[in-house]
Amino acid sequence: MHKDVDSGFEEVAGATGDEAPNGPDGRLSDWQRACRMLEQAGYGHAVTNTYRSHGKLIADIVGYDAAAALAETVSSAAIKAGTAAAARLPEAALTAARRSGDTQNYHSWVNTVHRLCAHAPESLAAVLERTDELLRQLDAAQFDAWVLAGLRSAGSDASRRQRFFTLEDEEASRWLHREAGDVTFNDVDRRLKAYLTALWHLRAPTRESSRADRSLMQHRSSFSGGVIRVPASFPSYRGQEAQDIFRACMAHIGAHFMFSSERFPVGELRPVQVALVSLIEDARVEHLAMRQFPGLRELWSPFHTAGASGALTAPSLFARLARALFDPDLEQDNGWVQKGRNMFLEHQSEWHSPEISRRIGGLLGNDLGQMRVQFNSKTYQPDPPYRDDNNGLWNFEDGQQPEEQVEETISESVQMSNREDDDHPDREQLDDDVRSDTPVNRARPREPEEGNEGIPVARYGEYDYVIGRERPGWTTIVEYQPEPGRAGNISAILERNAETVNRLSAIVKSACVSRPERIKRQHEGETLDIDACIGSVIDRRRGDTPDPRVYLRTARRQRDLSVLVLLDISQSTADRVLGTTSTVLDLECQAIAMLAEAMAGMGDPFAIAAFCSDKRDDVHYVRIKDFNAPYDGAAKASLAGLKSGLSTRMGAAMRHAATDLGSCMTHRRLLLVITDGEPSDIDIADPRYLVDDARAAAQRISQEGTDVFCVGLGSGVSSNLDRIFGRRNVVQIDRVERLPERLPQLYLRLTT
Amino acid sequence: MSLDHYLIADEPYYRQTGDEIALFEAAHAERMPMMLKGPTGCGKTRFVEHVAWRLKKPLVTIACHEDMTASDLVGRFLLDADGTVWQDGPLTQAVRHGGICYLDEIVEARQDTTVVIHTLTDERRFLPLEKKNELVTAHPDFQLMISYNPGYQSVLKDLKESTKQRFAALDFGYPAINIEAEIIANEGNVDAELATKLVSIAVRSRNLKGHGLDEGASTRMLIHAARLVRNGISLKDACQVAVVLPITDDPDMRDALTSAIAACA
Repeated sequence: MHKDVDSGFEEVAGATGDEAPNGPDGRLSDWQRACRMLEQAGYGHAVTNTYRSHGKLIADIVGYDAAAALAETVSSAAIKAGTAAAARLPEAALTAARRSGDTQNYHSWVNTVHRLCAHAPESLAAVLERTDELLRQLDAAQFDAWVLAGLRSAGSDASRRQRFFTLEDEEASRWLHREAGDVTFNDVDRRLKAYLTALWHLRAPTRESSRADRSLMQHRSSFSGGVIRVPASFPSYRGQEAQDIFRACMAHIGAHFMFSSERFPVGELRPVQVALVSLIEDARVEHLAMRQFPGLRELWSPFHTAGASGALTAPSLFARLARALFDPDLEQDNGWVQKGRNMFLEHQSEWHSPEISRRIGGLLGNDLGQMRVQFNSKTYQPDPPYRDDNNGLWNFEDGQQPEEQVEETISESVQMSNREDDDHPDREQLDDDVRSDTPVNRARPREPEEGNEGIPVARYGEYDYVIGRERPGWTTIVEYQPEPGRAGNISAILERNAETVNRLSAIVKSACVSRPERIKRQHEGETLDIDACIGSVIDRRRGDTPDPRVYLRTARRQRDLSVLVLLDISQSTADRVLGTTSTVLDLECQAIAMLAEAMAGMGDPFAIAAFCSDKRDDVHYVRIKDFNAPYDGAAKASLAGLKSGLSTRMGAAMRHAATDLGSCMTHRRLLLVITDGEPSDIDIADPRYLVDDARAAAQRISQEGTDVFCVGLGSGVSSNLDRIFGRRNVVQIDRVERLPERLPQLYLRLTT
Repeated sequence: MSLDHYLIADEPYYRQTGDEIALFEAAHAERMPMMLKGPTGCGKTRFVEHVAWRLKKPLVTIACHEDMTASDLVGRFLLDADGTVWQDGPLTQAVRHGGICYLDEIVEARQDTTVVIHTLTDERRFLPLEKKNELVTAHPDFQLMISYNPGYQSVLKDLKESTKQRFAALDFGYPAINIEAEIIANEGNVDAELATKLVSIAVRSRNLKGHGLDEGASTRMLIHAARLVRNGISLKDACQVAVVLPITDDPDMRDALTSAIAACA
C-alpha cells in the first residue's frame, strides 16, 4: 500500500500552486481555487506552503479532487484548532494517503480528522503528530473507531481528551491495542484465571499492571501480596503467540505460588546477586512444575531464544544462563554459564528447597564480579519476557524496593480513572459547565454515602451506533448495598391501598390456583377416557379403524416464570408528580411494593434491582431482592430506603440484570424496566448514543430468550422508549399517580 | 410372570473405593431403601448393577424425567379386544415379584410423582393401586434404590424432605487418583501410564468446578477418552473430543481446559 512517490518529489516540491503539473483543466482549477482560498483566508504562510507542497504529493496518490477537498479540512482546522495544527495537517494527510494507498481509506481518514476537529480541536495537533505511529497499527476504520473511543471516553472534558490523544491516558493505549487487534490482557484475563485454577486450584486476583508499575519493568508481569499483575499486552507478540506468552507468564507465576514458599530476605545481597538468585529460582520452580506437568516445557521453550554464544555482557549472559538451566542439554560456550548449569544440575535432589537458589545465585554473582562484567540493575529485565519482575520473591527492607507496590483493593484498581480525574481541581467546574450546556445531562452527583463503598462486579460492552458495533468492556457495573429505610413504610403503603391490594390478591388467587384440567383423547395418559374407549370399541365392532387416543390426562397449568424488575432511580425520579405530594420515586416504590405482593403471592421467583449511573465507569446497581432471597422485612426496608440521584445509563444496567436473570432455569424470563425518561448520562452529549445502546441491549437480551418489557412513566418520552424496546413492549403511563394500581395488573396481563 | 429377564448374567466391573459393598449388603439384609449420591459419571449406576449381580436379584431401572407421571411407575389400564386390561408399571412389577427397583436421577421427576414411593419406603411396604383398587404387598426381596445428584440441578429441583428422610445414603465421589487410574486402565483397556495422565487431566477440570464449570470431567468421560486413544487417536484430540467439547460451551473455559490438558501431556 506504500506507493513510491518520492521520485517526483524534487520537481513538485519546487513548484508553486499555480504551476501544478498538467491535468485536465477542470481539476487544475479546483486545486488552484483551493490554494487561493487558503491564501486569502490569511492563515499564514506556513499553512499555505505546506498545503501546496504536500497537496501535490497527495494528489499523486489519491487524485487532485481529494487534494483540493483537503483545503476545506485545513481551513476548519485552522479556525477551530489554530494555525499550528492546520499547518501539520497536510503532512499528516500525505502520510495517511501513503499508508492507506486508496482513495476510500484516505477519505475515511479525512472524515475522522474532521470529526476530531469538531469535537476535540485541542487534541488535533497531538493526533496529527502521531499519524504515522497510529496508522502503522491501525487501518482507516480502526483509526476512526479509536478516535471515537477517545471522544466517547473523555466526553466534554478537554483535558481528559488531550490526555487520551497524547496517549498519556492508559485507556488510549488499551484501545489502540484493542482496535489494532492485539491480544490484550482484558481479552484473556478470564481464561488465564481459569487456566491457573485448573492447573493448581489457585484463585489469585489478577490485574493489569498500571503505568507506575511499568515505568521500570516494561512489559513484565509481577506478583506480590497475592495479587498478580500482568502487562496490558506483550507488543511484539501477535495472535496465537500473544495468547501463549500470556499463558506462559501465568503458568510461571503459578509455579512461583506453588513452589516459592517464602520470600528471600535481601540482607547484604548485591543487586546482581538478587537478580541471579531470582533467575535460579525461576528455573527451579519451572523444573518442579514441569515434573508435575511435562507439557509446560512446550509452552515455555519457544520463548527461550538465547543462543549458545554471545557478548560478554550481563543481559546476554543472564539470558544464556536462563536458557541453559531450562534446557540443560543445549551446548554452551561460556564457562560461567556451564558452571551455573552444572551446579544447578548437581543439586537436583535439593530442588525442593528454595535455599538452593540462594546458594547457587550467590556464588555465581561472585564469579561475575571477578569477571568484571557490569550489571545495571536499573535497566535489567528478566529474560525470557514471560518471566516476572521477581519483586514478589524478595523481602525488601525499607527503601530497598525499587517500586513500592501499594496493595490495591479491587475497587481501587477498577476506579483508576476516577482517581486520575480527582487530580484535576477544575473538573467539577467543567462538569458543571457541561450540565448547564445540555438539557439531557441534568443530573447531579449524589452525596457520597458514608460506609457505602460500591463493589465493581462486572464490565459490559456498550454499543456505538457510529461504528456499528459494541465497544467491549466499556461500562463498569458497581454494586452498592441498599440503604435500609423503614420497612414499616412499605407496610403502611399496603395498608393505605388496602382496597387495591385486596382486589389484586383476588386476581392473583384466581390466576394461580388453576383447577386441574382433564385433557381428553390422548395417546398416553394416566387413565382411560371412557367416552373415547366406547367410541373405539364401537368403531372396531363396525369394522372401522379405532381411534387410538383413548386416554385421559389431568394437568395443572403451571407457571414457570421468573421476573426481574429493574427500577430507574435517576435524579429525575425526585420530581414531584403534578397534583400530588409524592415524587416519581415514591410512586415507583409504591407500585413495586404492590407488585411484589402479587409476585410473592403467585410464587414466581422474582428479583428487584435499582440502577442509576455516574458516567460509564460507575453504573450503580442496587440489589433490593435477589431471586433466592425471601421477600421479607429486609427487602422491604431496602425498597423504602431508595433515593434518587445521578443519571440513567439504561443499557449497561439492563445487561447486568439480564445476566442475573439468565441464571434462572425457568421456561420464561421477563425483564421489566420501569423508567421515567430516556437513557442519558453526564459524559454523553449525543442523545442518540445511549438510546441506541439500550436498543442494542434490549435486542440482544430478547434474542437470548428473555422478554423485555418497559413501563414508561410520564408523557412525552414515548418515541425513544418505543425505539428501544419496540412499540409492543412499552406501556406508557401518563398519569404516574395511577402506577401503583396499574403495574400489578399489567404484570398479570403480561404473565398469564 | 417373573423378573428373570431383569437378572444380570455377567459380572459388571466395579472397583470398590471404600466399604460401600459391605454397607450396601447390610442395608439390603434389612431391605432398607437406599439413596446413592454423587456427581454424574462417578459409578453410581455401575455400583447398582454390580450389587444386583452379587445378590443375584433382578434389577429394574427407571430413568426419571420431568414428564413422568405416577401411572408411568405404577401402571395403567390398556384397551384390548375384549375391554380393558391392567398393565403393571415397572415399579409394581418389582414390588410384586421381588427385585431391586432403581429410580435413576429421581429429582428429575416431579415431586407429586415421587410421593407414590412413600408407602413402600416405610414399615408398611405396600403399594396401593388406586385405579385398580388393589393393595400390592411388597415381595420380601423387593428393595428400592434411588440416585440423586445434589450438584447440578437447580435449587428448584430437590427432593421433598419427607422423601429424603426415608432413605439411607451412600455418598459417591470421584475415586482416589490411583483407584481411578486403575478403573480407567481396566475399562478403557489402556496402560497405567495413560490412565494416570487422564486422571491428572480430570483433576484439572475438577479444579474448575464452581469457577466456570458446573461439574468436572467424570470417570465415564475419561474412559471414553481412553477408548478413543486405544483406537489410535492422539491423547490431545481424544481429550478434546471426549472431555473439553462435551463439558462446556464457554470459549474461555475451553481454552483454559485445553491449555491445562496440554500441560499434563
